Amino acid sequence: MELFLQRLFDGLSQGSVYALIALGLVIIYRGTGHLNFAQGEMALFCTYVVYQCGEWGISIGFALIIGMATGFVLGSITEVTLIRPIAKKSPFAVFIVTLGLFQFLNWIDGAIWKDQPLPNSGVGSKQQSFPSLFPNKDTDFVNVFGAAIKKQSIGVFLLVLVLTGLLFLLFNYTKLGLAMRAVASNAESAKLVGIRTNMVLMMSWGIAAAIGALGGVVFAGINHNVNLGLMFTVFIYASAAATLGGFDSPGGAVLGGLIIGVVENLAAGYADQWVGQELKVGVALVVILAVLLVKPSGLFGTEKVERV
Amino acid sequence: MTMLNARGLSAGYGPVTVLHDIDMELHEGEIVVILGANGAGKTTTMRAISGTIPRHGAVEFDGHDVSKMSPDAIVRLGVAQVPQGRGTFPELSVADNLRAGAITRRDGAAAIAADADRWYQQFPRLAERREQRAGSLSGGEQQMLAIARALMSRPRLLLCDEPSLGLAPLITQELFGVIERLNKEEGLSVLLVEQNANLAMHMAHRVYLLETGRIVASGSAAELSADDTIRKAYLGF
Amino acid sequence: MKPFATIRSGGAASWAIRIVVGVLVVYLMFWIPTSASNGVIDSCITALTLMAAAMSLNLLLGYTGQISIGHSAFYGIGAYTTGILVSRYGWSPFQTFTFAFVLAFVVGALVSLPALRIKGVYLALVTLALGLVFPQLVKAKKLVWLTGGARGLDKTGFRFTKANPTYEIFGWNPWGSLRGENIKPFLYWIAMIIVIIVYLACRGVVKSRVGRSLVAIRDNDTAAAVMGVNLAVTKGIVFGLSAALCSLPGCMSAIRTGNVTPDSTNITIQGSITFLIVMVVGGAGSLWGPIVGSALFVFITERTGDWSDPKQIPGILRPFFDWSHTPPGSGIFAVMLIALMFVAPFGIVGMWRRIVVRFVRVIPKPAGTGTLAPMAAAPVEA
Repeated sequence: MELFLQRLFDGLSQGSVYALIALGLVIIYRGTGHLNFAQGEMALFCTYVVYQCGEWGISIGFALIIGMATGFVLGSITEVTLIRPIAKKSPFAVFIVTLGLFQFLNWIDGAIWKDQPLPNSGVGSKQQSFPSLFPNKDTDFVNVFGAAIKKQSIGVFLLVLVLTGLLFLLFNYTKLGLAMRAVASNAESAKLVGIRTNMVLMMSWGIAAAIGALGGVVFAGINHNVNLGLMFTVFIYASAAATLGGFDSPGGAVLGGLIIGVVENLAAGYADQWVGQELKVGVALVVILAVLLVKPSGLFGTEKVERV
Repeated sequence: MTMLNARGLSAGYGPVTVLHDIDMELHEGEIVVILGANGAGKTTTMRAISGTIPRHGAVEFDGHDVSKMSPDAIVRLGVAQVPQGRGTFPELSVADNLRAGAITRRDGAAAIAADADRWYQQFPRLAERREQRAGSLSGGEQQMLAIARALMSRPRLLLCDEPSLGLAPLITQELFGVIERLNKEEGLSVLLVEQNANLAMHMAHRVYLLETGRIVASGSAAELSADDTIRKAYLGF
Repeated sequence: MKPFATIRSGGAASWAIRIVVGVLVVYLMFWIPTSASNGVIDSCITALTLMAAAMSLNLLLGYTGQISIGHSAFYGIGAYTTGILVSRYGWSPFQTFTFAFVLAFVVGALVSLPALRIKGVYLALVTLALGLVFPQLVKAKKLVWLTGGARGLDKTGFRFTKANPTYEIFGWNPWGSLRGENIKPFLYWIAMIIVIIVYLACRGVVKSRVGRSLVAIRDNDTAAAVMGVNLAVTKGIVFGLSAALCSLPGCMSAIRTGNVTPDSTNITIQGSITFLIVMVVGGAGSLWGPIVGSALFVFITERTGDWSDPKQIPGILRPFFDWSHTPPGSGIFAVMLIALMFVAPFGIVGMWRRIVVRFVRVIPKPAGTGTLAPMAAAPVEA
C-alpha cells in the first residue's frame, strides 16, 4: 500500500509534466490543427533561460516568470514569422518547419550552454544542475497513510491543478477564451464575427509555449538537472497524453498526462521484469496505438466525420 | 445616403475570376436583394464585400475604404455577415455562439446579456436550447442562431447569404418576417442573396440581377417584376 | 520567358543528356574508391548509407504522403539482424541482408496496419514512438542474451582469417586490398550497391502502376479508394517495402563499424530526424532528392565538424559561428530546412527543376506511355 501510494504520487508528478506539455500541444492543435513538434524543445530553451537566470543569481520564482515570458515571446514570434506564412502552403510544410525548429533549438541550446547536440544516449553529456521550485531534499517528505510522499510531488501536482483551473477560467469566462474556442470551432466564421483570428493564434502559441516553459522548469527540478535530451521523451509522453485525452480537449490532455504518468510508473514498478526502466517509453507507444485503434478521437475529443 | 458602394468589383478563387467588374450600391435603411442562378456569383459577391476572399476594385462602407481590410476589421465597422451554410460554431453552446457574436462590442456584459435575451424572445426555440451545442441544432434553428449571432454585434448592415437554403418554406417565411421587421423598426440595412426570387422580391426595396458574374439588370422590385422578359428569363414567375 | 532550347522527352537530345550524365556518375563512382583518399571514401560511405535510408523514407513520404519519424527503428532492425547473425551465429554478413530485408518488411507491414486507420499527425506520432521504443527495446533485460543490452554487439563486420582473393578485374583492382586497414573501398562498394538497389526499387515502384496509385493516395486517399485503389494492400506493401529498404543501410552500418549498440548513429531517434531532414532538403517526392540531400548533409557536417574550436572556422565565417560551443552542422541544416520550406517546398531538386525549365523546355512523352510527371515540374506552363 505504501509503495503503491509512493508510485502513484511519483506518477502524478511526472504525469503533471506530461500534462503541461500536452496542454501546449492541444492549445495549438485546437487553434490551427497543427502538431507542434518543437513544443518540447521550446520548453527546453526556456528552461535553459531559467537556468541562466539562476546562474546570474536570480531567485527561481522570478526566473520562472522570466522563463515563461520568454516562452510566450518565442511562441508568438514562431507563429507570426514561421507558421502563419507556411500554413497557407500545406500542413506537411508546417510539420517540417516545426521539425526544423526542433533541430535548430536543440542546436542553439547546445551552442549557448555547451552541451553536445542530442547525444546518442538521449541525455545531454553536460548536465547542469537545476534548482527545484519545491523542497526537494532527501528529507522533504510528507507522511500519507504511512507512505513517504515527496513534498515536491505534491507541490507539482497542486501546481498543475491550479494551472488547469486558471486555464478553465480563461477559456470559459474571458473574451480571449471565447475567441480561442470560436477559432478552434470554426476559424472562417470567427473572422466574420470580428475576431482577430491572427491575434488569437499568436496568443495561443504564446500561451502554449509559456505553459511548456513551466513544464520544462518543473521537470528539470524533478531531475535536479537540465540537459539537451531532457524534453524529448517528455514530448512523446505528452503526445500520448494528448492522444489519449483527445487532441482538441485541454481537460483531456491534463487527465491523459496524469493517467500516463501513473500507468508508466506503476508498470515500471510492478512489472519490473517485463517493462523495467528501459521499456517505460513503450507505454507511450502502446497507449497511442490502443487509443487510435479503439477510439481515434480520444477520451474527450470531438469526433470528426469525413464525408466522401 | 449611400451606405455601401462597390465600384468595379472583381473577385474569384485562385486563377478563376468569378465576379467581373460589378457596380453595386446600398442606401441606408434599404433591403437590397441579389438574385441569380447557381454559379452566378452571388456568394462570391458577399465574400468579396465581407473581405473573406481577395478582390480588386473599390468597396466603400460609410465612407471608409474597406477594399483592403480584413474581414474582422470590416465587422468592427458595423457589417455583420450570415455566411452560406450558417457558419455557426458547432462545438460552442448556443449562448456562447451569441456571446461570440458580441465579441467586438465594448458596452459591457449587461448590455450584451440584454441583447441576447431579446433574441431569445424573438426565437424562443433558441432559448430552450441555450446550453446545447450549436452543432446539435436543426438546420432551421442553426439559421436562426446564425442570424441572431450576426445581430448581436449590433450591425448597421447585415449581409445574409441564402438564408432560405435547405429550410422549410414556413421557417423561411418566419425568418424573412424577422428581417423585414428589423428593417422597418430599427432601420437595419440588409443585403440579401437569394435564389428564391419569389420570396425575396416581396421584401426587397431594390434588386440586382446577377448572371455569370455580371449584373444584367437592376432596379426596384416593382420595375423588374413589370419587365416581362426579365421576369420570364430570370425570375421564373 | 522564352526557353533557350526545347528537348523532346525520349528524343535524341534527351538521350544524349542522359548518357553524358550517366557517364559522369559512373566515372565518379569508380574514381572515388580508386583515387580518393581514405577520408573521402569514408565520408562517401557515410553519405551512401544516409542516401539509402533517406530514399526508402522518400518512397513512403514523397509518394504516399505518410510521415514516418520512426525509420531509425527499421535501420536498427537491419543493424541488429546483421549484428546478431554474424556475431552470435557466425553467418557471413552478405547472407544477413535478405534476412533483415524480410524481417523489416514484416515489421513495417505490421506497423502499417494501424496506419490504415491513422492519418497525418497521428501516424507521425505512432512512428515516432516506435523510433523511441526500438533503442530501449534492445536494451531490455529480457533480451540481453540476444542483443547484448546497452553494451551492444561487437565483431559484427567481416573477419578475414584466410588469405583473401584480390577481386581483380583484368588486373585492375577497384577496391584495393581487402586485408589490413584498407577495407574502405570494399565497404564503399557494398554501400554503393545498396544505394543502387534501393534506387532501382524506388524507381521501379514510382514508375509503375503502383506508383500512380501511390500518388493518388497521397493527393486524396478517399478519392483513390473510390477509384478502386486498394488502400490497405497498397499502403501495407509500400510501408513494408520502405521499411525493408531502410534496413539495408542498417546492415551496412553493422558491417562497417564492426559493432552495434543501441546508441549507434542513426539507430536513435535522431537518425529518423536526420533521414527526414536530408530527404526534404534534397527534395521530397523526387528520386534524386535524397541523394543530393545526403551528400550535402555529409559535406556540411564533416566540414563544420571541428568548428567548436573557433580557430578552425574560415575567417569570413568566424564572426557568425565563433560563439557556438558545438559544431553548427545541424543548426545550419535546420535553418536551411526552414528556409527551403518557404522558397522551395520540393527541396533543392525541386528548385533546380524550376530553374531549368526557364531555360530548357522539356516536351513530355504523350500521355499513357507510362512516365510519371514529376511533381515539381507541375507549375511549368501555368
